[in-house]
Amino acid sequence: MSRVKTLFYIRWGIILLVIFTIAVLGYQRYLRDVASLTPDQILEHPSNETVRISGMIQGGSLTREDDGLSASFSLQGNNRSLIVRYHGQDTDSLRDLKVVVVTGRMNTKTAEFEGEALSLVPNYGFVAVSYLLGILPTCLFLFLMERKLRLLYTEVKEAKLYEPEVM
Amino acid sequence: MNKLIQWMRRLEGWFGLATAIFLAVGLYMSLISSPPDYYQGEIVRIMYVHVPFAQTSLLSYLVLFIGSIWYLWKKDSVIDNLSHATAGIGVFFTAGELVTGSIWGKPAWNTWWSWDARMTSALVLLLILVAYLMLRVFMDDRDKEARYAAILAIVGFIDLPIVYFSVEWWRTLHQPLSVSQRGLAISQEILIPLIVMTIGFYLLFTYMVMVRTRMLYLGHLLEAKKGRFLSQAHL
Repeated sequence: MSRVKTLFYIRWGIILLVIFTIAVLGYQRYLRDVASLTPDQILEHPSNETVRISGMIQGGSLTREDDGLSASFSLQGNNRSLIVRYHGQDTDSLRDLKVVVVTGRMNTKTAEFEGEALSLVPNYGFVAVSYLLGILPTCLFLFLMERKLRLLYTEVKEAKLYEPEVM
Repeated sequence: MNKLIQWMRRLEGWFGLATAIFLAVGLYMSLISSPPDYYQGEIVRIMYVHVPFAQTSLLSYLVLFIGSIWYLWKKDSVIDNLSHATAGIGVFFTAGELVTGSIWGKPAWNTWWSWDARMTSALVLLLILVAYLMLRVFMDDRDKEARYAAILAIVGFIDLPIVYFSVEWWRTLHQPLSVSQRGLAISQEILIPLIVMTIGFYLLFTYMVMVRTRMLYLGHLLEAKKGRFLSQAHL
């Protein structure tokens, strides 16, 4: 393999390595700041750690306190439901049948979830797909163009301008 | 060798390196270090790829327009190669803009597509670029091909201000310009990764134009060489 060709593949190896590193860091951030558990998961493996849970507020289960900072509701999972005692901001955004993400801790004694913050449903799949569809075709397009350029360059160098016919 | 091609060959590596640095930092900021938006949450991150795709799509057409005028004026075949290269790259960035915009539209507006002014005019831009490339494929005479393609690109330029100002001229689903004479409608935490990604995309575009122009130039050079060889052999 020629030196130019080797350098070309080394360069692309480094580019892919950088993209892979960013993807791994992005996935770690997703697990740390975005991913949430279902009510079923937290009920099966209760712990005192602060976690995010997501699910739909069961119809008719929402009750609000007069202070405007507290509410309780039943959060529906795939098979089971979890009672959430929420105390924090944005209680107005709670609605029956709405999908919400609640941050808080599980009270293992009462088997109820004590929520302290509400956040938007992340829709992270759309983010991941848009980056995949944006970055991967760009890399492929560029790789094929650079490769073609190198092949053409070699071909032009080797092409003969004039060759007399053998008599 | 043509001076422009020599200049591209010399600077290509530096542009490639700058592109890689800006995009690596931009991707890190976009996906990892920047905060989620108060209203849109995590899906605001789509903006960091969608907006640079859109900006670069406009830039590519602007370069195509200038290149086409330049070609009609000077009749330089390398400038024609540059315009041809830019159109191909423009198709890529405009398609990327439409795809990422559509993905953003679903969670933000609950629809994949809306026939609003910005999206429709961007689609028209893509169709003009595709028509430009088709014209270049189906013509036999190279001089005519270059001339007609340049005229098409100049006429098609009318769509560019429509794409850019459509969100200001018509009140539609699409949000107005974030950076305009009214000021800045975007927080600094979101603006910085957006700027880094946009610079990265502009550099990427420049790098791609250099590579593709040289590719087309060498392709034509090879054809010319082979043509001469054949003509000599069949004397």
